[in-house]
Amino acid sequence: MAASRTDTSLLGRWWWSVDRLTLIAIAGLIGFGYVMMLAASPSVAARIGEAQDLFLFKQVAFLAAGFVVVVGVSMLSPRNVRRAAVLGCMIALGLTAMTLLIGTEIKGARRWISLPGFAIQPSEFLKPSFAVVAAWLIAESKRRRHFPGTLIACALFAIILVLLNAQPDIGMLTVVSAVFLTQLFVGGLNLGWIGAGLVGMVLGGFGLYAWDAHVRTRVLRFLHPTADNSYQIDKALQAFGNGGLFGRGPGEGQVKDMLPDAHADFVFAVAGEEFGFLVCLAVISVFCFIVVRALMRLLREHDMFIILAVSGLVTSFGLQAFVNMASALHLIPTKGMTLPFISYGGSSVLAMALEMGFVLALTRARTHGSPT
Amino acid sequence: MAGPTPPGDDGRRAPPPDATPARPFGAPRAAAVPRMETVRVTAPDLQRRAALEKSRGRLLLTAIGFMVLFGAVAIKLADATLIAPVRPKEPVVARIEALATKPAPPLVTMLPYHRASIEDRNGQPLAISLDTAEVYADPREMMDTNDAARKLKSVLPQVNEPELAHKLSTAKDFVYVARRITPREEAAVNALGIPGIYFQPSERRFYPLGRMAAQVLGGVDVDEHGVAGIEKYFDKRLMDNPAPLRLSLDVRVQAIVHDELQAAMDEFKAIGAAGIVMDVNTGELLAVVSLPDYDANDFGNAPADARFNRAATGLYEPGSTFKLQTAAMALDCGAVHIWNMFDAAEPIHFGRFTITDFEGKHRWLYLPEVLAYSSNLGAAHIADIVGAARQRAWLARMGMFQRVGVELPEAARPLFQPASRWSRLTTMTVGFGQGISITPLHLVRATAVVANGGIMIRPTLLAREPEGAPDPTSPVLTPVAAGFAPDADMPPEPKMKPPVVLDQPLMKPGTSAIIRKLMRLVVTAGYGKSAAVPGYYVGGKTGTSEKVSPHGGYEKHANVSAFVSVFPMNHPRYAVYMMLDDPKGNASTGFFSTAGMVAAPAAGRVIARIAPLLGLFPDIADKATIDASLAMPLQPAVPPGMHAALNGPVTTAETGAHGREHERRRARAAADAAGAHTRLALAGARAR
Repeated sequence: MAASRTDTSLLGRWWWSVDRLTLIAIAGLIGFGYVMMLAASPSVAARIGEAQDLFLFKQVAFLAAGFVVVVGVSMLSPRNVRRAAVLGCMIALGLTAMTLLIGTEIKGARRWISLPGFAIQPSEFLKPSFAVVAAWLIAESKRRRHFPGTLIACALFAIILVLLNAQPDIGMLTVVSAVFLTQLFVGGLNLGWIGAGLVGMVLGGFGLYAWDAHVRTRVLRFLHPTADNSYQIDKALQAFGNGGLFGRGPGEGQVKDMLPDAHADFVFAVAGEEFGFLVCLAVISVFCFIVVRALMRLLREHDMFIILAVSGLVTSFGLQAFVNMASALHLIPTKGMTLPFISYGGSSVLAMALEMGFVLALTRARTHGSPT
Repeated sequence: MAGPTPPGDDGRRAPPPDATPARPFGAPRAAAVPRMETVRVTAPDLQRRAALEKSRGRLLLTAIGFMVLFGAVAIKLADATLIAPVRPKEPVVARIEALATKPAPPLVTMLPYHRASIEDRNGQPLAISLDTAEVYADPREMMDTNDAARKLKSVLPQVNEPELAHKLSTAKDFVYVARRITPREEAAVNALGIPGIYFQPSERRFYPLGRMAAQVLGGVDVDEHGVAGIEKYFDKRLMDNPAPLRLSLDVRVQAIVHDELQAAMDEFKAIGAAGIVMDVNTGELLAVVSLPDYDANDFGNAPADARFNRAATGLYEPGSTFKLQTAAMALDCGAVHIWNMFDAAEPIHFGRFTITDFEGKHRWLYLPEVLAYSSNLGAAHIADIVGAARQRAWLARMGMFQRVGVELPEAARPLFQPASRWSRLTTMTVGFGQGISITPLHLVRATAVVANGGIMIRPTLLAREPEGAPDPTSPVLTPVAAGFAPDADMPPEPKMKPPVVLDQPLMKPGTSAIIRKLMRLVVTAGYGKSAAVPGYYVGGKTGTSEKVSPHGGYEKHANVSAFVSVFPMNHPRYAVYMMLDDPKGNASTGFFSTAGMVAAPAAGRVIARIAPLLGLFPDIADKATIDASLAMPLQPAVPPGMHAALNGPVTTAETGAHGREHERRRARAAADAAGAHTRLALAGARAR
């Protein structure tokens, strides 16, 4: 960057105030996502039934758009972030509700709305906007004595729970719950309440296990991996095993062709087979770096809204990365969740870009006391 | 906040109480800013600070939590990739790796667990095993079995989709999808990415030359085990030892014999044919052809008649070609001399049977004339003089009572009268090749032996090792052991000693030299003229015999016409045998279908084509010398003091009895001459 520190233009101020290390880390993830798409695309294009060129072009376009969104959103002021999030939350909530009416059913779930060329999953966008809105409501309730922000946030959360449960999208529901709970936790809520929330989640989990056959088989497969139906996880572990320290080399993966979800839920296994332990460790480190750095920077922050919003956003981001990688490694039961920026999928990339754009915008260096 | 440390908390911290007011250097005292000020902190502000502190603590906990989570992922990653990696079990991967790491050796030896290939003496592959794969499915791993069946059908046209879909939806854990698919199909199936589809390496026997030596090679079953021919005989060797099995066959010679035989068969509308080319000194078979034949790759669908190997399994009466044996045994034991004459004027009447000549000369014939004009009467008299005991001993030495010893499970056992029923009539008819059925290989071997100086050989399909040492990888231990061991499925005949492959000649060298001259005479002056090839000094013997009817007796108008030859007669190298089964004469042969007309010309054409390939060049320059050395007058001069006429066994022990019988026969012949001649089947062969 040629911009001097005295450059007071919009771009100059943005460059010197934004968290450049996190920005570079995000750019690295997007670049790795591009590489992984090249690895997964031949078989995935055939599986999805699209021409490979078109498939490549679309994902390249999404990744490029994703980076533009990250940079563009990171230029917003905290106040505008809040406004955008409120607007986004309303739209996403509406669209999520609409999926139940006009949604496209894929593999037994109505999560997508078909648009010409691609399908969007509104709940992906609901996740970051709700995190910001909830942060604002909770922070506001602390600032103003008689403002029932936390209650409103809880009500909003309950609505989202109902919608996601109806789709059903248990994975998204779990993430949104965990994010909201983390925000309440960071916001200083009584540990008793936090414990109650955790117990509620556990009970909810048991309820799902008892009532939902799909969830039950997933858990059983995890607990009894020698049973018959663990094809995907077998193949994923074989992919990692085949990769070893340095991997088979780009495009040299063989087990990946037998992985039904090589482009999305099991993209990390493909990375393991082709690039090996070292590169995968680097990917884990980048995700960990982004999350932990954001949380550590919040220690110097005074604005409760920013603290809650950023901690919610990075929790969502980090949790999603963790669930994806841990599923592929058979650390937890398989849960369909994308690896941010690396898995194939337009909605996922754009929603993650929005999320990280919010994080960058909220963590920019500011003079204290500037309005939020 | 990547820049310098932000103002942060410093601005808010109260200065130390003992601080003096700071003022810029040189500024008046009044301008000094007090170092201590009183800051009022409101209660809500304090609360907010406390809340922030609490949040910071919890942020720290959250960060630690994430570090724990990602750390667990990293540990699990190390476990999955480095500490306890699960290796993929797909054979595809293993094979790709094997191919990638190994240098590419020649095609045939590349695949270590293959059935060994079979090649001809020059290394031309005759049978090779190709890499294929069996596709099977584990339906329990499948997500959508109907979809899987539909996808498999799209790349494997041989799949029956409804049946497969049904099997996949009901079977437990193993369903064959297709067997023996090509590597290309395997790649296509793999590219479908259907979970639960697996491959098992397998192989398929392929015969690159199709019809070439199909009956010799035989075939394999679906599990790659030999079921016929060389494939069966050497099944264990081919499975155990990956080195190619080198046969004695020469595909060039085989192709020429096939070509000429097919042309002769088509020209004379024969129903079958056989051709053999053998090295007379080693017994190596360079060509073994049987027509009709079939594509060896279609073994399972070939008709039985095409699979039948006429050269090794077909039993035929040798006919006049056998007169060479009669002449050889008689000359070798001293019973007759080359200048003896035999009565071919009068038919032989024996009981109900009458022996005649076809187109007879109706006069006494010298021994060379008996061969050249193929006189049944002359041969019968000679055999009679030799007698049954010496005839049988000779035939046993020549291997006529045993399987020929060639490395084919189909090799047939000759049919002949047991010693107890080997009558005088049998002796006479066998003298001109009737009353005994042998395979063409038997005849070729016996002819080669009488021409090569009497060295016993065993027809073999294995290429001789250059040093002459037996191939240690072959289950064949020694020629004697393998060739003449009693057959396991038939009880050995007690009286018959197996002929032994001897280093010593089976006959006097002088006898062999005379036989060579006699064979040459047949081609220069007898019925075998059409086999002559300038410069190659071909010698041979024709044989036309009536086919034995399946109902007993002979078929009047169905011949087996054969010509057995050896060349060059001055230094015998190769035997060539050509036989047509039931040929029909046409205008060009004057509507004759005798061997001299149909088989001998084909043999001549074969010799003219294969001799140069085998490194033999026509010797025209020495023609006069060679002709002189092989010359044999039709009517040799009788040494002084000797009588040429020899119609009775004057030198044998049974003189008396034989003489009386001879008189009786003459009397009966006179009586028969008055009545109608009834030529009965057993002895009624026209032989030329």
